[in-house]
Amino acid sequence: MSALDRLPSGRGDRALIAGVACLFVGGLFALTPLQASLPSALYVFVEVGITFVIYGMLVLGLDLQYGHTGLVNFGHVVFFAVGAYATAMLAAQDSFSGIALGYPWPLALLVGVIAAALLGLVVSATSIRLRDDFLAIVTLATAEIFHSIFVNFEGVFGGNVGILGVPRPIAALVGDADTRLIATILVIGGITLITLAAVTRLTDAPYGRVLRAIRADELVTRSVGKSTIVYKTQAFVYGAALAGLAGGLFALYNGAVAPGFFTIQVTVTIWIGMLLGGAANHRAVLAGLAIIMGLRLVSRFGLSVTPVSGDVFAAFRLVVVGLILIAVIRFRPAGIWGDPQELGVDQ
Amino acid sequence: MGLLQEAIFGIVTGSYIAIAAIGFTLIYGIVNMINFAYGEYLTLGAFVGFFAASAIPVPLPVAIVVAMVGGGVISIVLARGFFTPINHTGPVPLLLTSIGLGIAIRNAIRLFGGRSARYIETETTTFRVDAVPDVSIGSVDLLGGFFVTSEHLIVFGSAVAVFLAIHALLTRTDVGIAMRAMGDDESLARVRGIDTQLIRDSVWVLAGVLAGLAGVLMAIQTNVSSTTGFSHILQILSAAILGGAGSPYGAIIGAYVIGLALAISTAFLPSSMTGLSSAVAFAILIAVLLVKPSGIAGTEVREA
Repeated sequence: MSALDRLPSGRGDRALIAGVACLFVGGLFALTPLQASLPSALYVFVEVGITFVIYGMLVLGLDLQYGHTGLVNFGHVVFFAVGAYATAMLAAQDSFSGIALGYPWPLALLVGVIAAALLGLVVSATSIRLRDDFLAIVTLATAEIFHSIFVNFEGVFGGNVGILGVPRPIAALVGDADTRLIATILVIGGITLITLAAVTRLTDAPYGRVLRAIRADELVTRSVGKSTIVYKTQAFVYGAALAGLAGGLFALYNGAVAPGFFTIQVTVTIWIGMLLGGAANHRAVLAGLAIIMGLRLVSRFGLSVTPVSGDVFAAFRLVVVGLILIAVIRFRPAGIWGDPQELGVDQ
Repeated sequence: MGLLQEAIFGIVTGSYIAIAAIGFTLIYGIVNMINFAYGEYLTLGAFVGFFAASAIPVPLPVAIVVAMVGGGVISIVLARGFFTPINHTGPVPLLLTSIGLGIAIRNAIRLFGGRSARYIETETTTFRVDAVPDVSIGSVDLLGGFFVTSEHLIVFGSAVAVFLAIHALLTRTDVGIAMRAMGDDESLARVRGIDTQLIRDSVWVLAGVLAGLAGVLMAIQTNVSSTTGFSHILQILSAAILGGAGSPYGAIIGAYVIGLALAISTAFLPSSMTGLSSAVAFAILIAVLLVKPSGIAGTEVREA
C-alpha cells in the first residue's frame, strides 16, 4: 500500500481535515498572544454562527435518528438540555442558585455526554417500539416533563434562573472580546466538522445501509436477520449523545444554563432545518439549518430599520418559519437537496 | 383548600379538556393524524367568542354559539387548505404540517392581538358549602368546605350536553355511523358507498365546533390570550391517548382522569412546585403508552 492510498478522499475525510484545521487555528488564537479584530458589524454574524455550529451537532444527531433510521424524535431538545445541565452542575462554581460542584470542566463535559446518552437509552428502551407518531408524542412529552422539572426543582436546578458560574474555558484563556469570539466559533465549529466526519463515516459504512433499510422497510430488514430494535436503539443513543455534547459545549460557551434556552423552539428549529435541507444528507441538513438560522439575522437587521417592536418581529419570523415548514412538506417533501427516491416520497 | 375543592376544579378542567379531546380523537380516528394545531383552534374559537361577547356585544349563550360556528368554519377552511391536499402522505407529514400550522397561527394571533390576556365579563354566582368537616392528613385536607360558581356549572353542563349529543350523533345518525365505519376501516367504508371525503369534511367541522366550544369555555373560566389553546394541547393529547386514540368515549374518561390528576397533584405538591402538576399529566401519558399503548379503549399503536 503506497502512501498515496492513505491520503483522504471521501467527503467525510475532507470534513475531518477542515475540522482539525479549525480546531488548530482556534487553539492558536486561544493559547498564543495572537489577536484578531472583528468589525462591530460582524458581531451578530459570529454570535448567530456560534449558535449555528452548536445546533449543527443537534441536527446531525437528529438526522441520524430521523433521516437515516426513521425515528420521529420530537423531543431532541431534552438531550441537549440534560447534557448542558449535567455539565453546568458539575463544573459550576459559586452558582447563585442550584447545585454547583466545581469539578474540572472536561470531566463535566464527559458526564454531560454520558447523561444524555443514558437518557436516550432509557427513552428508547421504553418507547422505540411505538409507532412513528406516538414516538413523536412520547419524546415531546419527555422534553416537557424535564422542562418543568428544571423549572420547579429550584434547589437542584436553579428554577427559572438556572445555574450560573459555569467555567468558560475559552473566555478564561482569551481576554480580548474579538479574539474570544473568533476562537470560540473556530473551536466549536471544528468539533461540529469532526462530528460531521464521524457521522458521514458511520452512515457510509454498511452500518448506515442497515439504518436506511430500517427506515425504508423495517419488516424486510428484520427478515434478513438484522435486529432492528438494536440498530434503532443505537442510532437513538448516538443522536442523544451528540445532543449531550452540544449541550455541554453550549454550557461552557455560555457560562450559564436556564430553562429558557431549552424550549420546544429549539426542537422545531432543527426539525425545520433538517426537513428544509433534505433529511438523510448530512451536508444538506446543515445547509437547511443555516437557512432557517439566517432568518434570525434578517429579523435582527429588519428590527433596526423598521419602527416596530421586537416582539412583533419575533412573532412575524415565527409565522414565516411555520409557513416554511408547511410549504416544504407540501411541495418539496424531500427538502432542497434531498433525494426523493431514497426518502420514498413522491414529489 | 380542601381536596374536595380541588376535585371540583379537576372536574371543571376535565370537562373542557373532554370536549376538546373528543374533537381531537375524532380527527385522529378518521383522518388518521395527530393534529398538533388543534390547540390553536381552541384559541381562535375563544377569540371569536370574546369578540362576539364584547365587541358586538351579544349575550353569552349567543356568543358561545357564534364561537362554535366560527370554530367549525375555521376548522374546515384550514383542513381544506392544509391537510386535505396531503392526506395520502401518512401520519408523520400530517403531524409535521400541523406543528408548522400551529406555530404560524399562534404567532399570527400574537402579531395582531399582542400578548396580553383578555377577559370575558360574566356575572358569577357563587354557591358555598361550609358545613363539611375538615379531615386532615398532614398538610392535606381530605374534605373541607367548598364552593361552586355558576361558571363551573355552565362548563360542566355544556360538557354533559356535548357527551349526549356526540353519543346520539355517532349511534343514531347516518353521518355518525359512517364516521364510525370509516374509523374502523376506510377501504371497506368506501366499498360500501360512503363518500369518505364528505365524512372527513364533516369530522373537521365537528371537531372545529367542539374546539370553539371548549375554547370559549376556557376563556370564561380563565382568560383569552394567544397561548390559551397551546397551553392545553398536551393535556388534550394525553386525555385522547389515555382513552385510546380514536375513541370518543375513552377520551371523556381520559380527560377526567387528567383533570383530576392535575388538580389533586396540585393539592399534594408543595406550593413552590405546583408547576410540576403538568408533568404529572405527561407522566401518566407515557406510563399509559408503555403499559397499555392501546389506551382504555382503542387500537394497537406498537409496531414490533
